[in-house]
Amino acid sequence: MELLVNGQRRQVSDESVLVWALRDELGLTGTKIGCGIGLCGACTVIVDGQAVRSCITPVRAVSGKSILTIEGLAKGGTLHPVQQAFIDYQVPQCGWCMSGQIMSAVALLEQNPRASEREVLAAMSRNLCRCGCYVRIRAAVLDAQRKILARKEGNA
Amino acid sequence: MSQRQWRLTRRGFLISAGLLGGGLALGVRLGWPEVQLKIAEFAEAASPTSFGGASANPTAWFELTPQGRLRLYLPKVEMGQGVMTALTQLAAEELGIAPAQIEVVQASTAQGIRDLFGTAGSTTVVSLFKPLREAAAAMREMLLAAASAQLKVEPAALALSAEGVFVQKHPARRIAFSDLLAQTSKWEVPERVPLKSPEQWRFIGASVPRLDLRDKVTGAAVYGYDVRLPGMLYGAVLRPPTLEARLRRVDTSAAERLPNVRKVVVDLGAGFVGVVATSRAAAQQAIAAIRAEWDEGRRWEQEDIDRIVTVGDEGGVVIQRVGDALSELQRGVSLQAEYRTPFAIQTPLEAQAAAADVRPDRATVWVSTQSAALVQQQVARAVGLREDQVEVFPTFLGGGFGRKSGWSEVAVEAARLSKAVGAPVHVGWSRAEELQHGFIRPPTHHRLSARLQDGRVVAIQHEQASGNVLLSFVPGIARGVVGADFGATRGATIRYAIPHRRTIAWRKDLPVRTGPWRGLGLVANTFAVESFMDELAHLAGADPLAFRLAHLPNDAWGRRMAAVLRAAAERAGWGKPAPQGRARGIACSTDVDTVVAQVAEVSLEGDSLRVHRITLAMDCGLVVNPDGVRTQAEGGVMWGGGSALLEEASVRNGQLVATNFDRYPLLSIDRAPDVEVILLDTLRDGQPRGVGEPPMGPTAAAIANALFALTGRRVRQLPITPTRVRAALSA
Ligand code: FES
Ligand code: FES
Repeated sequence: MELLVNGQRRQVSDESVLVWALRDELGLTGTKIGCGIGLCGACTVIVDGQAVRSCITPVRAVSGKSILTIEGLAKGGTLHPVQQAFIDYQVPQCGWCMSGQIMSAVALLEQNPRASEREVLAAMSRNLCRCGCYVRIRAAVLDAQRKILARKEGNA
Repeated sequence: MSQRQWRLTRRGFLISAGLLGGGLALGVRLGWPEVQLKIAEFAEAASPTSFGGASANPTAWFELTPQGRLRLYLPKVEMGQGVMTALTQLAAEELGIAPAQIEVVQASTAQGIRDLFGTAGSTTVVSLFKPLREAAAAMREMLLAAASAQLKVEPAALALSAEGVFVQKHPARRIAFSDLLAQTSKWEVPERVPLKSPEQWRFIGASVPRLDLRDKVTGAAVYGYDVRLPGMLYGAVLRPPTLEARLRRVDTSAAERLPNVRKVVVDLGAGFVGVVATSRAAAQQAIAAIRAEWDEGRRWEQEDIDRIVTVGDEGGVVIQRVGDALSELQRGVSLQAEYRTPFAIQTPLEAQAAAADVRPDRATVWVSTQSAALVQQQVARAVGLREDQVEVFPTFLGGGFGRKSGWSEVAVEAARLSKAVGAPVHVGWSRAEELQHGFIRPPTHHRLSARLQDGRVVAIQHEQASGNVLLSFVPGIARGVVGADFGATRGATIRYAIPHRRTIAWRKDLPVRTGPWRGLGLVANTFAVESFMDELAHLAGADPLAFRLAHLPNDAWGRRMAAVLRAAAERAGWGKPAPQGRARGIACSTDVDTVVAQVAEVSLEGDSLRVHRITLAMDCGLVVNPDGVRTQAEGGVMWGGGSALLEEASVRNGQLVATNFDRYPLLSIDRAPDVEVILLDTLRDGQPRGVGEPPMGPTAAAIANALFALTGRRVRQLPITPTRVRAALSA
């Protein structure tokens, strides 16, 4: 079966679950695995603009759709504002949850650019971080939100 | 594998001249931190060879690569605690080049990791602080001397850059490292290696950005679960249905017939049944198709375990005796209270994972581990090779927290399966395996008794019972002679200046495998001791902060505790009214020579306790990377908060109940408190101290004490769930 991942057409076996197709078949190990049943968010990727938990997504459900993983987020060496904010605020500790945190935040800020702090926390509350980087995740996502908005307004 | 020949110099450095494929190298051997010596002592009693002696090879070293770059081999692993950056800062300081300009490589067991203690116990920066700077300084001096001979300029007028040596006043006059390499066999380690003085430091004490973060926000960092090898297959292992299950019979014929299965391995004696397949899903299907018959053993219930973990019978070991607390308490006990903490699971978000490539004469293992040298021993034994035939590469760790220290079941599983199938095999545990089949934090029980006289505590006793923490890793024979488990009792002794003090600990063998968890016994013991101090303060009618200050010893500990207590209290607004509906609690702890105090501000939403803010003050001596230390403190607070509010594992019907985060919930961002961190250095003795675990100490106690301040009711059992809050409020 063919998948469209980070703008490229890739072949995977049609029985697979998306997270394993990405990681084990395509070698895109930036997408992580934490719980396998949709509870932790470590496996989050963006499918047609929506944050999706790849551990509970059969590849059949996403064939023909546009899949974005952490590896495809930076554009030509320039980090996405959310990635940059996660560095600016020195967010990651072990880093294992971070692809999922970043992809969830990217999808949230695309869908709801003016999300309130409460809405940000509610959306991010389904992404667990065992290292406890929460103080900085909050600061970084809110900072990225400000920068993305400022840039949009600058362009308008 | 690296086949370097090392030569010991008079100053205790190890030097190795350029060889085929490797440039000049210089390293140091490390002494063992105290706790490691202790473990070695115990283990040696049982099997003299297992912890080895001094090795002929260095543990931390620099290499001038054939490409003319400076490379640092790290003997400790990066699991999120920032050691890669902190250690590179130490090296950069003496080399005089920026941390980002040093090539940093995680050493394998063949390249430097030999200490069996591994990366644990908040000891990394402390143990490497001096030796690593000395090695860097010696490297610097050698490079300068060599360049001086070529450039005909005094060494003092030269400096290092990322690529070579240059004349400070005329940077255009320089020589590349690669042009110095040819001469290296003649180099001598200098006799005098002056270290920079703290006034000269540029990187130590600076919040140097983490070196590993770009790779961690782009998905490029490689962890144990991410390792991929050509021709790699996937393994899975059959797990027992109960804690005590023993495999009796197994029928693997259905599994063997499945199309993508390459091998089914059965070792009844060892209770091992594993499969190798072309995908993880196929391996799981094969495991599901195995029919096994088990002796299930006893169907343990949590109540049985709580009964075992109870203080008071024969066999306790007195670990603190000041004055004569027993006689004093016989004259009258003013207050007695009991506390309990539950099983809790480290459950790093990256589950155990390893890839192994076992050949007839050697094996290579890539694994997410805190203890690569132990894994090397284990794998060698499991596949019948000598230790020097096994090389273990530790990867980045997606969290460790003690779970990836000690034994690595997954590395052995991958190695056994790789040997059986004759190809590289990856094994990655599921969350269910992680929650049910690892070693976990043991439950504890505490009984504290004290006598007050004129508002002061004159006598106190802490009776403590815990499952094993560190002694689970020590052979049974040695355990018999050891007595108390110094991991389980971390934080159990009473630091306050109370004339009569006694702490007695019971070590309980349990049917659940237990072992190290971040901070070991620190959270449980501090919860008990600091809750009890709070109870005594209220009984004496004193302010909890003033009561603690009034009981501090008149020594360095007392001064440091006073400093952190005052700093946290002042910043948190202690003594001023809390916002409407909220209250504050305070607690402190001492651990690995670091002192921490915290103030928690809480409220109730229904029966559910909400922690709004933790103000933390920590005296951890000299700080190498302030922002890195703050990060550790913030994370530690989340661990303490999770233990205080949520984390509890239990046994039902012979097995641990939780198989995923629905039944073992972790703290999430919407329940996470704000954290403010204040760093102090009261002693100013130029020594860094551990920061990975100490910040967790007081959190749960501060939260419980705040709940009491809010409601006048106390919850003496962790976690403080809505059910327990309701029970306390209606009692
Ligand atoms: S791994 Fe997919 S949500 Fe946890
Ligand atoms: S950084 Fe380790 S799990 Fe989030």
